[in-house]
Amino acid sequence: MDWVFLSELAINGVLTGLLYSLFAIGLVLIYKASSVPNLAQGGLTMVGAYVVLALSHDAGLPLWLAIPLAALIMFGLGFGIERVALRRLAGRPVVMILMLTLGLDIFLRGTTLAIWGGTSRSMELGVSYDPLFLGDIFISRIHLVGAGVALALFVAFMLFFRTRTGIKLRAIADDYMASWSVGISVERGVGLSWALASVVAVAAGVIWGEIQGVDQALSLLLLKGLTVAVLGGLDSILGAVIAGIILGVVENVGADFLDPLVGGGSRELIVAAVLILTVMIRPHGLFGRHDIERV
Amino acid sequence: MMINNKTAGLQLGDEPILRCTGIERRFGGVVAVTGVNLEVKPGEIFGLVGPNGSGKTTLTNAITGFYPPNEGAVRLSGKDITGTAPHKVAKLGVARTFQNLALFNGMSVLDNILLGRHIHMNPGVLRTAFYWWAARPEEIENRKVVEEVIEFLQLESIRHELVDGLPIGLKKRVELARALVAEPQMLILDEPMAGMNQEEKGYMCRFILDARAERGVSVLLIEHHMDVITGICDRMLALNYGEMIASGIPKEVVKDPRVIEAYIGGSHG
Repeated sequence: MDWVFLSELAINGVLTGLLYSLFAIGLVLIYKASSVPNLAQGGLTMVGAYVVLALSHDAGLPLWLAIPLAALIMFGLGFGIERVALRRLAGRPVVMILMLTLGLDIFLRGTTLAIWGGTSRSMELGVSYDPLFLGDIFISRIHLVGAGVALALFVAFMLFFRTRTGIKLRAIADDYMASWSVGISVERGVGLSWALASVVAVAAGVIWGEIQGVDQALSLLLLKGLTVAVLGGLDSILGAVIAGIILGVVENVGADFLDPLVGGGSRELIVAAVLILTVMIRPHGLFGRHDIERV
Repeated sequence: MMINNKTAGLQLGDEPILRCTGIERRFGGVVAVTGVNLEVKPGEIFGLVGPNGSGKTTLTNAITGFYPPNEGAVRLSGKDITGTAPHKVAKLGVARTFQNLALFNGMSVLDNILLGRHIHMNPGVLRTAFYWWAARPEEIENRKVVEEVIEFLQLESIRHELVDGLPIGLKKRVELARALVAEPQMLILDEPMAGMNQEEKGYMCRFILDARAERGVSVLLIEHHMDVITGICDRMLALNYGEMIASGIPKEVVKDPRVIEAYIGGSHG
């Protein structure tokens, strides 16, 4: 057993896993407020990346300005989605809202294809591709940066849910009727959760766009993000972070063992197995509330 | 408990806190409530009775904006609030409880009650950011009201417990506490004593009377227990099949043949 290699796999697994968490935090934010897994989170992430590109590469703004500006635009887009599409569906069966988010994802992919085409574009964040050495262990710098962003967002949201506005969102997630009766605008709260998830999508879009290029394939991050969110318990931000780390490590280390046996491609199998086993064995995930059943 | 002058000096000529005129609410082809008029005067406990499915809860929902009325008007202290969104109705000073409970089950008793204070909280970002200077005095005032109500409803021993695991009698009390901390002018209680034994009912009646006496709140009380209605309500209204069948002083209304018919003599269970 090569321990150095194994720890390299594990550490890079942790970093990659935190990047999945970065994506999954957006899913959790919306699930917390509307009890719906947002199937358009991949689409939002992709749009977030395109908006950053449009502002920086096309409009010529520096990245430090383009990214916050994109976050602001996406914040507005999130509110807009609630106002235009979701509000009409309030009180309808969850499956309707689920289908709406799927439709939205397809719509966003089509729109970006129409506007920016399907050629992969690079984000050019300026993070060096020279590996970082930790003793004998290679670490990717962009993964390290992304993991830092994920952890920063995690801390920010943990603090946010202790503020009055955060408590309001928790109340909305708990019970719509009760929220209305104490004077909380459920509609605005759901809008805010979409707006915040859209901001998270910008962060995920920038980091993942740097890693794999910006094109419609970014929206496929949904599959891994959803796996992480389900494993974490769908309504727990801490769950999303820990589940991300678990999935990243299991995937990275597991694939190293399995790939030689099955001739490659075992990563996807591991992700699928984690998703299916979670739903079968522990439908409320690691940290989810127990009344959350299969979606 | 002494009833203070504010409420004891109830005058029939006062502007009603709540006035509903010609309320009608339909669900598809079903007319759930039609032609209902009612007035609740300041400091009054007003009873609303009727067999199951007679439209009591629908009327409540029409008043509080959950199901806006198709026809008719709802006025709160003279202000037209017909069709106002439920969270805005709450902000205008109408607090309610629910027949089937609507509590924040994932939160503690204390957090549930604190959320009842929401309409008095100013969630401005700046105020939160400068918590110690701007928001703290307000927070202290909010906590004071919450502590008073917790003491009043004797919830001290369970304040940190999760609401989810409480027996129904206590849940009803937590819901009442959450409504009271909003310091409403109008309190709407939808079957607050459903599923309670005689002793618990007695407690609940006491709480409602004391809430009126100490806080001057007006109450619209939906109840099936006639002894409760005759015991604590000043006036009442009986509904059947969504229509008014009798209204007035409880002792007289419960003797009304149409009310007796609706409750025990009817051809409908």
